[in-house]
Amino acid sequence: MSVASMSMWCRASCRASSLSLLVGGSTGPLLGGIHNNALVRTLSSSSASAAATPAAAAAVAPEEPPPVEVFVNGESVQVPKGVSVMQACDAAGVDVPRFCYHQRLSIAGNCRMCLVEVTKSPKPVASCAMPIMPGMQIHTETPLVKKAREGVMEFLLANHPLDCPICDQGGECDLQDMSMAYGSDRGRFVEEKRAVEDKNLGPLVKTVMTRCIHCTRCVRFATEVAGVHDLGVTGRGGSAEIGTYLEKALTSEMSGNVIDLCPVGALTSKPYAFTARSWELRPTESVDATDGIGASIRVDARGHEVMRIVPRLNESVNEEWIGDRGRFSYDGLRRQRLDAPYVRGEKGAPLRKATWKDALEAAAHGLRSTPSTKLMAVAGKLADAESICALKDLMAMYDGQNLQVEGVTPSSDAADVRSSYVFNSTLERIEEADAILLVGTDLRKEAPLLNSRLRRSAVYDCVPVASVGPDVDLTYPKKDLGDSAKAIDDLLSGASAFRAVLDGASKPAIIVGAHVLSRPDAYGVLSKCVQLANDVGCVSGDWNGYNVLHECAGRVAALDLGFVPGPKADVATAPGFVYLMNADDEATLASIPEDAFVVYQGHHGDAGAARANVVLPGAAYTEKGATYVNTEGRVQRTKRAVPPPGSAREDWEVVRALSEVAGLALPYDDVDGLRVRMAEVSPTFASVDSVQQSTIWLNGSTYAASKGSSKASTAPFTSSISNYFQADVIGRSSKTMARCVETRGEMYAKTHDVGSTLGELGEPSAHPLGD
Amino acid sequence: MASKLALNAAVSELRFVLCQSSPSSAGTREFVSKSYEAIKKANPRLPVLIREAAGAEPSLFVRTAPQGVEKRLSLANLNAADVKKALESLAK
Ligand code: SF4
Ligand code: FES
Repeated sequence: MSVASMSMWCRASCRASSLSLLVGGSTGPLLGGIHNNALVRTLSSSSASAAATPAAAAAVAPEEPPPVEVFVNGESVQVPKGVSVMQACDAAGVDVPRFCYHQRLSIAGNCRMCLVEVTKSPKPVASCAMPIMPGMQIHTETPLVKKAREGVMEFLLANHPLDCPICDQGGECDLQDMSMAYGSDRGRFVEEKRAVEDKNLGPLVKTVMTRCIHCTRCVRFATEVAGVHDLGVTGRGGSAEIGTYLEKALTSEMSGNVIDLCPVGALTSKPYAFTARSWELRPTESVDATDGIGASIRVDARGHEVMRIVPRLNESVNEEWIGDRGRFSYDGLRRQRLDAPYVRGEKGAPLRKATWKDALEAAAHGLRSTPSTKLMAVAGKLADAESICALKDLMAMYDGQNLQVEGVTPSSDAADVRSSYVFNSTLERIEEADAILLVGTDLRKEAPLLNSRLRRSAVYDCVPVASVGPDVDLTYPKKDLGDSAKAIDDLLSGASAFRAVLDGASKPAIIVGAHVLSRPDAYGVLSKCVQLANDVGCVSGDWNGYNVLHECAGRVAALDLGFVPGPKADVATAPGFVYLMNADDEATLASIPEDAFVVYQGHHGDAGAARANVVLPGAAYTEKGATYVNTEGRVQRTKRAVPPPGSAREDWEVVRALSEVAGLALPYDDVDGLRVRMAEVSPTFASVDSVQQSTIWLNGSTYAASKGSSKASTAPFTSSISNYFQADVIGRSSKTMARCVETRGEMYAKTHDVGSTLGELGEPSAHPLGD
Repeated sequence: MASKLALNAAVSELRFVLCQSSPSSAGTREFVSKSYEAIKKANPRLPVLIREAAGAEPSLFVRTAPQGVEKRLSLANLNAADVKKALESLAK
């Protein structure tokens, strides 16, 4: 077992102790006292101001104690001091059944399925909650253990309904699987089974609470990882129930993860309910393209349809969680799709279905007949690297230099130095930061997975977090420094108290939200941020704490490929021909003049297609093997899980075909050739699944050319995402996402009716919902 | 110095490719770190892309309008002064 996962475990146990006090549940009694220091820190952190000195966190940096030898079924294994018996068994490769234990959650020790025998203990012990002792003899295969586990299973099944044939968890249910090993072939109970009323947790999570075995994984996830105190246990013993107490939907942006965590069919996916059985699905390992994090996902498809999306394990990106948009917006992949090319006859006429030949000819004519100074291309939020590269090369052949990335104020400086636009510290190492400043971002909407990492730092390691930007509830304490560039000036001048915290930190980090990039004064603000990063020592040795958080999957690739205006591009000239590659933003469309000839390439009939003169249908991220670069600069590749609908094609092929019809063919005719070209443009594309660190950090000269022309204004910072669920065309086409927005809206209205009493109770105000 | 780095007006993109650590990239690294600002000053609207990847051969790419033709020059083992010369030979 790796050292990393052990330290993870120590954190978990520290959370265990805090849980025992906070909810008074039955917790690991033996481990409760081990991390008293951690407990005190944890509890004080919630009341202390966010500006606690980072020295406190640094002072208790653990030293590695020597490993301890224990024996599992007679085999010797070396494990770090203080781990649990279950961890030792895992390290020895011995499987111990479990329901309540989860390596990323605190220890509850309440299902008793993990019983093992240890020498000198008269009774079997719950291995997840029992720390090892040097020389301990652990036995997992004895008749006593088997009998004890069978007893536990019998009690669990006593009240569990026998509805596996109609249960969505069937086929992937821990309880079902373990009953094969430990279940009895007949029941001894004649009493009536207990029944529990189902709870309404909103449009995403379906409940059948009679199936619940009270492992409390869902409660611990909500409280510890998601940071929302929505779920809890009410009642005791036979009348214990999991629920929200007052009926309300889960308010987390990562609530769907409780579905994966629930070991039985009590919590299942509402949109997926009764649509497929797990064994009918064809899994494809892919990458999420609905946000800038690029979580590893598995796309489960049946026939030509995506049936569901679930996370895959990837420690350096998403651990094992994904956000609700990535998980549930897949039904948007079936609606509003562009399945054929369209051409608009003349101005004002409606779009009409056309053949590929006609559509490409119309687009090629527009491209050829426009003078090069009036050509413009926009790389949108969902565009993949292959098509961006092909489009850039195509525009270069026609000397179209006005290239823009959606959501970035056009500037020839924007893509110069890679360290100026990626999340340099990487997602994994941001947890090493000991002071964090957020600029112009609402992490909860832009990157819920990153937010949960920051929550871990802020709550369990007491890392001070401050924010210049929207005043929102991030689920952990943070200091609000204001919402305009003035607050950054105060930090620069030292007038702000948080400056001392950043100065005192050994690994300070600044996270700049994508909103900043889209402001007219972007480069003024960015140069201030870079200046601050230099002043507080964000960049030293192998630590670069200057981070730009992108909220969409397409942007870093576009910047890596240098999709920026060239020297002859006059951004002010009204373009006569515009190529929109997956670009649907209002701001983009508003900048296009009435009489421009617009070609839209993309997969959904949304705003971009509505404005277009020619529509070229492309493939969505589940339908192509395409490259996306996440906010860290990690190059990742999706796989085709289902074919694109109708006559839609993979996006780079469309650009290649257009280049040929227009008369100057691009020099590559297969995807490998194109990828070689991408690696030539930016060698980072040569290594898939890894982050190429950008070590060149040009102190302050990064925005040399454009900072003078854009002075920071006093306009308030907001988030780049105002509506989490409908941030992209897929979300906007999804019924499930629409339901989420509706539910959140209703809840918002409700909480605001009773706002006064909640206010007195000091409740945090409701998260600004999908408004 | 700045005036010397003014490049041909037809140049539409400069790209420096280098490795983060290899000695053969050291000169290129030194050149871009020191001269980036000067290049930018002399050619304010020219994208000067600096891209690093482990093991990449240090190279210079110059793209010129109007056909977008790209020329590449290897910068392996060149020192900063030679990199400057290479840039001038390709982009002046
Ligand atoms: S609902 Fe599922 S996860 Fe939650 S306590 Fe019950 S069985 Fe455990
Ligand atoms: S896994 Fe140990 S008690 Fe549940």
